[in-house]
Parts: sequence; C-alpha cells; structure tokens
Amino acid sequence: MKKIKRSNIAMLIVFFLLVPLTLFLGTKLPGRGYYITGTLIIIELMIPFFMAFEGRKPQARELVVIAVMCAIAIVARVAIPIPNFKAIFAVIMLTGIAFGPETGFMVGAVAAFASNFFYGQGAYTPWQMFGYGAGGMLAGFAFAKGRLPRKPWVMAVFGFFAVILWVGPLLDCSRIFLMLSTVTWAGVIATFISGFYVNVSQAICTVLVMLLFGRPLLEKLDRIKLKYGMMEDEDGL
Amino acid sequence: MRNDAFSKCHPAVNFLFFVGAIGMSVVIQHPAYLTAGIVTGAVYYLLLNGRKGWKTILGLLPMFIFLTAINPLFNTLGVTPLFHLFGRPYTLEALLYGAAIASMFVIMMLWFGCYNKVLTSDKFTSLFGSIIPAISLVLVMVLRMVPNFIRKTQQITGARKSIGKGAAENASTKEKLNDGMTVLGALTSWALEGSVVTGDSMRARGYGCAKRSSFMIYRMTVTDWALLFIMMALLASTVTAACFGQVTAVFVPAIDLAPTSWGLATYTCYLLIPTALHIKEAIQWHISKSKI
Repeated sequence: MKKIKRSNIAMLIVFFLLVPLTLFLGTKLPGRGYYITGTLIIIELMIPFFMAFEGRKPQARELVVIAVMCAIAIVARVAIPIPNFKAIFAVIMLTGIAFGPETGFMVGAVAAFASNFFYGQGAYTPWQMFGYGAGGMLAGFAFAKGRLPRKPWVMAVFGFFAVILWVGPLLDCSRIFLMLSTVTWAGVIATFISGFYVNVSQAICTVLVMLLFGRPLLEKLDRIKLKYGMMEDEDGL
Repeated sequence: MRNDAFSKCHPAVNFLFFVGAIGMSVVIQHPAYLTAGIVTGAVYYLLLNGRKGWKTILGLLPMFIFLTAINPLFNTLGVTPLFHLFGRPYTLEALLYGAAIASMFVIMMLWFGCYNKVLTSDKFTSLFGSIIPAISLVLVMVLRMVPNFIRKTQQITGARKSIGKGAAENASTKEKLNDGMTVLGALTSWALEGSVVTGDSMRARGYGCAKRSSFMIYRMTVTDWALLFIMMALLASTVTAACFGQVTAVFVPAIDLAPTSWGLATYTCYLLIPTALHIKEAIQWHISKSKI
C-alpha cells in the first residue's frame, strides 16, 4: 500500500469536516447566510482538485496544453461572428473528452476564472468555476474508455443536458441565494424560469458546436496526443 | 489603476480588504449598515472610474427597484398589507425587506466593480503564485494567450477573406457559424502545435527541476502592515458588534431593528479606508504641487 496522497487526505477533510462544519455554522449566519454557505462549500469542494493537480507536479507540456485550451475556450466567442454565441462550455467538454476528466476539470475552472478577468469577476465566479470544471470532468468520465461513443450527436445530446441540468441550474442557485429573501418554491421556480432562456440559448450553442466542431476538434487533440505522446498515462480512470 | 493610493498597496492588503467588505455586505442586512455600504462603495467606485462610473451606478437603480418590488410577490409575511395582488397580500414589511436585499445586491456589485479595478490579474497571480504555483502559471499563460489568440483569429479571418473565403457581413447565421468553426479549427491546430514547442522549451530551460522561486514586485511596507492592522482591528470590532446583536434586523412579520451603536462607526471606517487613502494622496499631491 502506497502512502496516502495529500490530496486524498484533503478530500476526506473537506467532505467529513469542512462541509458539515460550514453547513452547521451557516445556519447561524444572519442575512444572506445561504449564499455564504453555498459559496464556501463550492470553494471547499474545489480545493482537493487543485491540490491534486499541484501535488503531482504537472509537466511543462501539460500546463501549456491546459492553458491553450482555456484560451481557445475564451477566444471562441471572438472567432465566431455571432453575438451572444457562447462556445466556451462546448470547448471545455471536448477537452475533457480528449484529455480525460482531470484536465477537463482544470480547463473548466481556469477558463471560467480567467474569462471573468475580461468580463468582470462577480458573486457568481466560484459557482461558474465549479460548474464548468465539473462539467468538463463529467464529460471526461462519460466518454473515457469508450463508455459513450464519441459521435457528434451523442456529444451534442450530452452537452445539451449538461447545460440544462447542471451548469444552468448551478448558476441559477447562486442567484436564488443572493436575491431571494426566503427560499420558497415559488421564488425558486420563478428564478429558474427567468434563467431558462439564457440556459436554453447556451445549451443550443453547445449542441451546435458539438455537432459542427466536435469531430474536427477531437481529431486535432488526438493527433497532438499521438504525435507527441502526451498525457499517455492519463486515460481517464 | 495607477492614480489610486489603495491600488498601490500590497495585493494581500487589497485582497483581504475586499474579502472583508464583500463578506460583511452579504451578512449584514441592517438598513443603517446597508446605507453606509452603498455610499462608501459608490464613492470609491466613482473615485476609481471617474465620470463613467455614474453610468454603472445609475444602471443599478432599475435593478434595485425591480428586486425591491418583486420580493413581496414571493414573501407574503408582514403585518401591514398595502394591497392585494392575485389574492395574496402585498405587504410593506416584505417591500422593505426587498429593499434591504436589493441594497445588498447593489453593494456587492459596487464592491466587485472596485475589486475588478484594484485587484488586477497580475496582482492576483503574484499573490497566489507561491501557494498554487502551477495553477497561477497556467492563469498567467491564459491571460497572455487570449489577446494573442484574438490577434491570430483576426489574421486567419483576414487571410481567408483575401482568398475569397469567409462569411460576408450579411451572410446567414449558418454560414457565419460554419466559417467561425473553420477559423476556430485553424486556430486550435496552430495553438496546440505552438504549445508543444513552448512546453519543450520550458523543460529545456529546467522547468520542474527544482522548486520555482518567484519574483515579488510587491513588498509589505510599514504602511501596509499598519493598514492591515487597522483593517483587522476595525473588522474585529464590527464582528464583535454583530455578535452583540447590533446588526440584527428583522423585517418580517414585523420590523424590528437593533439600535445603531459603535458597530456602525467601525464598519463605516473600514469601508472608508480606500477612499481615505485616495483623498489623502490627492491632498498631498495638491500641496506638493502648490509648493513648486
């Protein structure tokens, strides 16, 4: 049995100590206690991932590829001359599919954070980081080892539901906790309905990118992997 | 921001200030404290942004009214119904509660606006460079690549245009989308090839051989330590005041506000730190200019 990794210990501490403690103390906070509790938990959940990444001392090539994919996800908005066309999440998911869950998470979290340096950080930043990161990771897990076929329409359907069921609701949650005085069903449903249009438009963008760009981008990423023998030991658990 | 005294302080001081200011603003819903938060936030925002800042602040007004008006629709508690809407009471208490929540939202927007101006990406990475070296290196690379890739995108688009390809201004959405994907594909190929060269070059120069040292452009000066101490003292006293129930404010079903006391003073002083520094610097500059 190898020595237990530090990031695994961090994971255990976060899940069994930090999160319950935050939930317990959060109920005692006045005001927007929900928002603070939620945001803290989101940040705490990301810590083990970042520690795992730092802990295994990533190689230079891997770092640069992650940075390039983040930058492409951000620049995609500029490259496609259609206003409000957000391709960022589709690129993150494709990265997760090609390079595995861990890289998918890093690209998602860093791309969300870095893009907010251009569009403004806000109360939603940690939620967006976690949403995009976990989305990229999920895509990595789902398509690893041929669990799901890497066909454009499969990825499109997957992307559609990932936005509608995961990223969108998560961002809506941050608004619910921030803007509603009491969390009631009526208020929650109203917030989800008001966010529905944005979520659907982002989901459709993701579908379109997956259908049109999914296969070419995956081929490019796979070619790079093959040509330079990168990220070989990381075939996605 | 170059002409702001607070922005010239150590990033740690800046970061901790904003954590304190935004953190407190989310927890406290006492109207007096909210007013202090809005006024100080708006003043500092205007100092940072100049006249352009008014636009943002006025833009927050409709949001404030909307959030205030919408709260009684979901929260029907309260003892003074103003009128009935869809058979549900629309109460004064819930309306005021809505105003408090809207104020919190406005305060957050204002302080986040200031945060974006003060804690620029270079400060953030220099602050966290030693704690998360690999991730902040990735962040630095991303921030450098984005403008670079935008330039490259324009080059690719221009080159395609000159050989008669690419979507015209009045092209259909489908054509634009297809064209965008082609450009994005070309960009990806170019960028990934380049990334391998960069990565190999980094390894050849010894990346990952030993613990990376980092150049710190910012030093904690005496002023920074003093500022940090004052900040912590003010924050601690505000938290103490909160523990004594000074910030308690209950809106529904009936309004019950704690009387204001010294907690409000320390809270306001805390939020005025950047403004005070800015004004002090401006006065000093004025004096030294008039001496010439």
